[in-house]
Amino acid sequence: MNKFSYVIKNTLLNMRRTPLLVFATIIAVLVSSFLVFTTLSARSIVENNTLRWQNGVHVVVFLDDRVTTTAHKQLEESLESYPEVRTVEYFSKSEAEEEFKTLFRDQPELLAEVDYEILPSSLRINLNDPSDYTLIINRLDGNPAVKEIRTSGEAIERLLSLTDTLVISASAFAFLIGFAAFILIINTLRLAAYSKKKEIKIMRLIGASSTYIRLPFIFEAVIESLIGTSIAVGFGWAVIEYSKNSIVAESIFDINISDDYLIFLTLSLLMFSLVFGLFASFVGIRKALND
Amino acid sequence: MISLKNVSLVFQGGSVAISNISTQIEDGEFVYLVGHSGSGKSSFLKLLYKEYIATKGEIEVANIDVSKLPKWKIPLLRRKIGIVTQEPQLLENRNTSENIAFALEVMGSLPEEIEAKTNTLLDLVELNENAYKYPGQLSGGEATRVSIARALANNPVVLLCDEPTGNLDPDLSIQIVSLLEKINRAGTTVIMATHDSSIVNRRKKRVIELNEGKITRDELDGSYIVR
Repeated sequence: MNKFSYVIKNTLLNMRRTPLLVFATIIAVLVSSFLVFTTLSARSIVENNTLRWQNGVHVVVFLDDRVTTTAHKQLEESLESYPEVRTVEYFSKSEAEEEFKTLFRDQPELLAEVDYEILPSSLRINLNDPSDYTLIINRLDGNPAVKEIRTSGEAIERLLSLTDTLVISASAFAFLIGFAAFILIINTLRLAAYSKKKEIKIMRLIGASSTYIRLPFIFEAVIESLIGTSIAVGFGWAVIEYSKNSIVAESIFDINISDDYLIFLTLSLLMFSLVFGLFASFVGIRKALND
Repeated sequence: MISLKNVSLVFQGGSVAISNISTQIEDGEFVYLVGHSGSGKSSFLKLLYKEYIATKGEIEVANIDVSKLPKWKIPLLRRKIGIVTQEPQLLENRNTSENIAFALEVMGSLPEEIEAKTNTLLDLVELNENAYKYPGQLSGGEATRVSIARALANNPVVLLCDEPTGNLDPDLSIQIVSLLEKINRAGTTVIMATHDSSIVNRRKKRVIELNEGKITRDELDGSYIVR
């Protein structure tokens, strides 16, 4: 217990000796962890939103009125036989007219002008895997009953690809800042070890174990790392809570992310920062304490 | 008991610090290690507490086989040895009492034990009046006595002193040697490296003389003839 209090006392003494470096280290860890936390949360939010779409219509095949309804029926049956297709729903011209009227009910001028005869009947397809929409396009290529094909899969894919790019870029940036934090921790520890050179020499002569000599430095790195990450995670939670009631949530996305995922992310980041601190301290004092 | 059998120490680059020496020092002995600068006195002592690792030979200190001792067990060896260096190596931000207590704190002693032991050691080295003085306020002899008290804090069975009187005038040197003899009389084996012939010749103790890393003389009630 007395040994432990010695370690804690010395950890705090070390940190007080170089306050600016300690502050810079905490900020670097904070920014890095915040970037990782927010981008991974954003990725999860986008996935949750697109998941909702995945239960909707993925491909709409507009039918050509110039071919017979038998050809339309054959097309519907062939679509239903494809393994990647979950359901196919026939949407008649009159249903298309009703849908149009509902969608544009706020624009009576437009509704008055439109010739509803041009609205085609269609087949609305729900796929087992929305990313298979290209297979459907290929299968229907050249089919005379098909007038036009539209997919929502493309939009989903674009959005997911955009968020993937966001995650990769933010992670690369977080890695760079994390590396800066790593260098800062190493420098802070080396300065602390240098300033305590005589004390360390005496401890060695007395018979203190290497682990015991290293502990204050290890604790320092771990504490700085954990403080930075804890603040970052706290900010991250606050940003998500704020966003739930923000204009973004009302206009673009539901900020739909589970607490379980956030807790998992928080614990993972804290665990990572613990390992990060241990590793940085190992590298930082290895040479300084072996002299 | 301290025993060295055919011990050599060769540094990287080939310079020979210790060359095939063998000797034995019994428990409770007081031994002067003499020789001119560079004769191997410090290397001899550093081999005993494994600051240097012998290139060949066998070393045993306080029933520990130093030659085969793995690096992680060196602290266990040093807990049985007190080490006093020529520079007292005191912590400037701690007073006399705290410098002595430091050794006990590091080894995890309880606060009440630290206080009692520190007071006993202050008595032993006769520094009670200087207990709250900082190293900058102490004379050379007083600083060396603090360093000796700190080395004794964990009840070592062997005390290794590497030229503790090197920076002191003759009177202070005699005081330090008297203190070391007092410690020796209490049962601690003392090995003191010195090149001060006036001290060695006056005290009539065992003398081991080193020259170019070899033992050239080993005499009970010996003397040190400066060549």
